[in-house]
Amino acid sequence: MVREFKLPDVGEGVAEGEIRKWLVREGEEVREFQPIAEIMTDKVNVEMTSPFTGKIVKFTAKEGEVVKVGQSILQYESEGEEAEKPPLAPPAPQIRQDHAPPIIESRSTVQVKATPAVRKRARELGIDLGTVVPHDPSGRITIEDLETASAARKAPQAKQATAAVSGDERIPVAGVRRKIFERMTESKRNIPHFNYTDEVDMTNIVAARDVFSKRLGENVKVTYLPFIVKALIAALKDHPVLNSSYDEKANEIVVKHHYNIGIAVAAPDGLVVPVLKDADTKSVAQLSEDIGSLASKARAGKLQLADVQGGTITVTNVGPIGGLFSSPIINYPESAIVGIHKIEQRPVFRDGQIVVRHMMYFTVACDHRIIDGAEAALFGNRFIEYLEKPFLLKLE
Amino acid sequence: MKESTVMEKKTGMLQIIDNEGNYRRELEPAIPEELLLRMYRTMATVRKFEEISMGLQRQGRIGFYIGAAGQEACSVGSTAVLKKEDWIFPAYREPGALLLRGETVLQLFHQLFGNSLDYNKGRQMPNHFNSREKNVVTPSSPIATQIPHAVGMAMGAKITKKKEIALTFFGDGATSENDFHSGMNFAGVFKAPVIFFCQNNGYAISLPTSRQTASETLAQKASAYGIPSERVDGNDILAVYSAAKKAAERARNGEGPTMIEALTYRLGPHSSSDDPTKYRENREVEEWKKRDPIRRMAGYLRKKGYLDDESDRKLMDDIDKEIRAAAKKAEAVPKPPVESIFENVYSSMTWNLKEQMEETVGRYGPGYTGR
Repeated sequence: MVREFKLPDVGEGVAEGEIRKWLVREGEEVREFQPIAEIMTDKVNVEMTSPFTGKIVKFTAKEGEVVKVGQSILQYESEGEEAEKPPLAPPAPQIRQDHAPPIIESRSTVQVKATPAVRKRARELGIDLGTVVPHDPSGRITIEDLETASAARKAPQAKQATAAVSGDERIPVAGVRRKIFERMTESKRNIPHFNYTDEVDMTNIVAARDVFSKRLGENVKVTYLPFIVKALIAALKDHPVLNSSYDEKANEIVVKHHYNIGIAVAAPDGLVVPVLKDADTKSVAQLSEDIGSLASKARAGKLQLADVQGGTITVTNVGPIGGLFSSPIINYPESAIVGIHKIEQRPVFRDGQIVVRHMMYFTVACDHRIIDGAEAALFGNRFIEYLEKPFLLKLE
Repeated sequence: MKESTVMEKKTGMLQIIDNEGNYRRELEPAIPEELLLRMYRTMATVRKFEEISMGLQRQGRIGFYIGAAGQEACSVGSTAVLKKEDWIFPAYREPGALLLRGETVLQLFHQLFGNSLDYNKGRQMPNHFNSREKNVVTPSSPIATQIPHAVGMAMGAKITKKKEIALTFFGDGATSENDFHSGMNFAGVFKAPVIFFCQNNGYAISLPTSRQTASETLAQKASAYGIPSERVDGNDILAVYSAAKKAAERARNGEGPTMIEALTYRLGPHSSSDDPTKYRENREVEEWKKRDPIRRMAGYLRKKGYLDDESDRKLMDDIDKEIRAAAKKAEAVPKPPVESIFENVYSSMTWNLKEQMEETVGRYGPGYTGR
């Protein structure tokens, strides 16, 4: 017999969970207590184990899908004996079609879970509680449920979901992508951005990197990023307001005197920003190593919460892919983000002569509530100075 | 002038077995092989019990779970020094105390499922294990409330001249509670035969000990009450046993209470409702895994020649089978009937309770168990 496994309340008062990953396949034989799925809720992330020994017939929820507690996530067939126990999960709420609008509570209404205040409101609205779909997994009807039911009655058939044009793909907004949706919207909605772009002569950094590469040998891959981080921190020390965030509750600007540099990484599931903690205390070699390990963790989806928290400013490096310059979005609630771009040889004037130098554009996007235009320009100048005269980094 | 004891600092810690199971011969307590193996089995049982129980909770088969993984040596090592008439007032990470006293895993599962064979008929929170027969008192969820209870029990034994002592367990967070003060103060003044066993696992749910107290150690708090204390490596079962043994002897000799601060670590979440990655680094957990109390004891037992690969594997297999079978069995036991809700409050049921019972039975039918 095929049975359903319904998502239980995996924490305490958890209402829904996202199927992060199936750890088994359809058709697979599993043992009781064998891990079958990773489930993410707003409270805990858990490894779901199998409540049966038997065969997975079919998944009824996809990876990335957000499932309500009590909703089926898979169908299974288990070996003989226990034809009994339905798991303790509460039944999924169903719409009951009872009689016409009652004035007096029907028998079914008495059995419905609702507080006296909710019952009174239902009578006022002329709604039979027996027909209301509760959203609380315990089956308790709330005032919100009543409002929804009442609104639904007023607009019987509101707009239906846009019909899919054949051939279109529909991708659920879930997991990392859902977080990206939230964070980007939050940043753009709250922060009035302005962009400041300039170019910098990277010839000396190119030379410095070559020296470092030779010194550290083949095992350590040194990129330009550690040097840029170093120059960035030096410039931030001169213009600390760029290393700040806005504390909305206190209505205060929090200027940070520690330097946790977020590095935007394109991971398979989407953009993530692991953080180089206390980057000001680290050498170029250490930074190279840390960037390498954070980036590979990010690509493998192994970042811990601690790896992505506590950033004070973010660097996004579009250079390896292309583009002249970009206008990046600030990693909320930070106040600035630095976009760095490709380094290429260009002819430039130096002392009346045309010479070939390694040039790079960069963009600083700032929170204009906190950072004035002049401040950003002065910061940009310092950043350029440290990159063009890297010896200053050592001297100051 | 006599030196003030308030200034005493106890920052050291007794350790006998190291991470590899090497041990300090001069400190090794004399424990018979049979008891050592029973202690080891109990610790391994607690660990496996947790793995299965957490699975049951995630699958929606039990409602809640609180783990003890990483802290097994504390309850097992200290309970091992007691006599069976002595009393235990646990918090909620001490299933090991009950199991060492002979409680079955099946009975613990009855409690987790809250079925009709549960001693408390499903009225306690899951994981609040007790046994009247084994002198293990039911824990209360509010932190530290068991401390004055234990002191009261011990005082009672002292007054009635019974040769019983009490052992109570609590965590680092409990030392900030009023009940800790009341219990310690009273026990200190009246020399109650009680052992205060503090399992300092570094976090009160998510709050680190550094935010819990400005005291350098928790053990030093005992000085204020005139109670001697000792700090031990809580992941070292021999150290726990030795300190508890000394404390029990003091209590039996009429010398009064002792506080033990055992430094340990919870490897899992606070409970099934907690996600520890939100407040502690994975690195820290990995570090503590190296000090796993079960592995350390296994190392010691191997060095003593009491355990080898084969006997260890067989033991783990036995435990695994026993626990899986017990979980199945307990799950199949019916829940207490609905009428039982009205029992056990008054010796004979009052008229209004009777009325409510009849109404309830009228609605659900007699003997209704929720299925």
